[in-house]
Amino acid sequence: MSYSALGRIVTIARKELVDTLRDRRTMMVTLFSAVAAGPIFLVLIFNLIASQADRARELELAVVGSEYAPALVAFLERQQVTLTPAPVDFETKVKAGELAVVLIVDPKFAADVAKGQQGTVTLVYDRSRDRAQASINQADSLLRAYNRQWGGQRLLLRGVAPTVANPLNVEFTDVATPQQSGALALFLIAYYGLFAAVMGGMAVALDTTAGERERASLEPLLTTPARPLELVLGKWLAVSAFNALVVILTLLGFYLTLAFAPLPAVGIPFLFGARELARFVVILLPMILLLPAIMLFMGSRGRTFKEAQANVSVLLFIVALVPAIQLFLQRKEPDWIAIVPVSGQYALLNLALRGEAVSSAQLALSYVIPVALIVIALFAVARLFAREAILAGK
Amino acid sequence: MIRAEGLSKSFGKRREIHAVRDVSLVAPAGAITGLLGPNGAGKTTVLRMLATLMVPDAGSASIGGLDIVRDRFAVRQRIGVLSDARGLYSRLTARENIRYYGELHGLRGAVLEQRIDTLTAALGLTALADRRAQGFSQGEKMKVAIARALVHDPDTILLDEPTNGLDIMSVRALREQLRVLKAQGKCLLFSSHVMQEIAALCDRIVILGAGRVVAEGTATQLIAQTGSQTLEDSFVALLGTGEGLAA
Repeated sequence: MSYSALGRIVTIARKELVDTLRDRRTMMVTLFSAVAAGPIFLVLIFNLIASQADRARELELAVVGSEYAPALVAFLERQQVTLTPAPVDFETKVKAGELAVVLIVDPKFAADVAKGQQGTVTLVYDRSRDRAQASINQADSLLRAYNRQWGGQRLLLRGVAPTVANPLNVEFTDVATPQQSGALALFLIAYYGLFAAVMGGMAVALDTTAGERERASLEPLLTTPARPLELVLGKWLAVSAFNALVVILTLLGFYLTLAFAPLPAVGIPFLFGARELARFVVILLPMILLLPAIMLFMGSRGRTFKEAQANVSVLLFIVALVPAIQLFLQRKEPDWIAIVPVSGQYALLNLALRGEAVSSAQLALSYVIPVALIVIALFAVARLFAREAILAGK
Repeated sequence: MIRAEGLSKSFGKRREIHAVRDVSLVAPAGAITGLLGPNGAGKTTVLRMLATLMVPDAGSASIGGLDIVRDRFAVRQRIGVLSDARGLYSRLTARENIRYYGELHGLRGAVLEQRIDTLTAALGLTALADRRAQGFSQGEKMKVAIARALVHDPDTILLDEPTNGLDIMSVRALREQLRVLKAQGKCLLFSSHVMQEIAALCDRIVILGAGRVVAEGTATQLIAQTGSQTLEDSFVALLGTGEGLAA
């Protein structure tokens, strides 16, 4: 590539950047959605986790017929459970979500126990309510603990070791490191980082292609010595630079929120420091460069900004959907996912957030297809610019 | 100097719309050549082929001896084009709009700024030079577009209906500017469907109708050829009354 060609590419890129930075409305919308929205969601999610943790610690149990099982009541009170008499319409209140869980003691409880039969207690809850889950599980496990304790005492009285009745000792070891908890918050950061790479350059890419056609400024531009490929490269560099700016600001927003915002302590030491931020940028780099190339292609096919926007919305839908599918599949991903654009990046971002090392081989693999697509897309746009059909007006 | 020989261009899926058929013309340097024809006569297509934006289906053309297809990038260095599409970048100032094209033509630094100053002064744009193009009037926009097309001092200038949408003052200013360029020895090709404009400005006239050259010559020659009283009468006589002349 000759010196003058390089000079023209730089000229085009610089002009597009100046033009973009002066577009106040687009700047405000892009920067707000990228920089502010992520941290706001993060704060909301942290508060949600914190309130769930609080609920789990302070179990409130509404009881019907507490007088029939005074020993059970005493056990629960020793476990710091707040017991309240259940209202008459407790079933409606459980359905409405006002009560998480209600304990009903059978009126024949004491009589059954005295006869050596099983006493019956009933838990009333609505499994579909996420916020009640913690309370339901806790009430359940407390009742089981009481059952074990009581049974063990009875066996001891008869001279039998409790282990005879409980040959299996189940212990729980949670291998999730503290960083691996809070999957929702992890998902959010990875997702938002990826999304910033898609949204960041969109308005600019469409403005510089379909917008240029709509404003009737493309035709005169094509009569200058700038070759179609130079125009495309210049525009791509400008959009990519802007895209990188948006991604970095978005990640910086997360970093600053986690480092300095007064977030409730949820017991999840979060790994998103300067090192993770840098890793994120390296992982997202192929997306930062690829999406502008694709957007330029789609934008060039639209005669107006609006037309191009409609074309691009399909792309947005795909990029938004893929990570969500990955989240809900919850299965171990097949190895080939590493080279698939979007999926591969999302997997690597999660890896980085969990504090695991991302090898340069993995990284290189995730670059292959994006780089190929960038080359294809840019040549395709250059071909569009060289076609006479590009002159067709609105 | 523009030389076109048998230019043809068709559009449509089966190339069924013959926009330009076998057009030959010559536009010498130091003269303004008018391309006159009703709407849809093929003026814009001829100019787009000469501006290297379209490749002719048949025929050939050269500008300053350079072939418009084979040497198209060299041709682009030599021509200034004021096309029908003349959108500016509204967030850039007039000066920045002009500078962008200057840099794309390889001009830099003091030479370029000097050139922009000269052009803006000649076109009466000095007061507007550092304002954004956002709120410019039609006439102001056209002036910036002309300055942009002339920034690299091209020796051949193609203008496609440059007076469209301009008020009378702007039209007069434009005419004045074109005469100055002619005096500098430039080759100007100017298309219009407005007779008076062509008559007032052009040394030679090429009349297009339905994609073909119907007649060419000076205004006097054309009037004599058709035995009419005025250029308008000869225009109508040449094209037949069926052709609409309403602008």
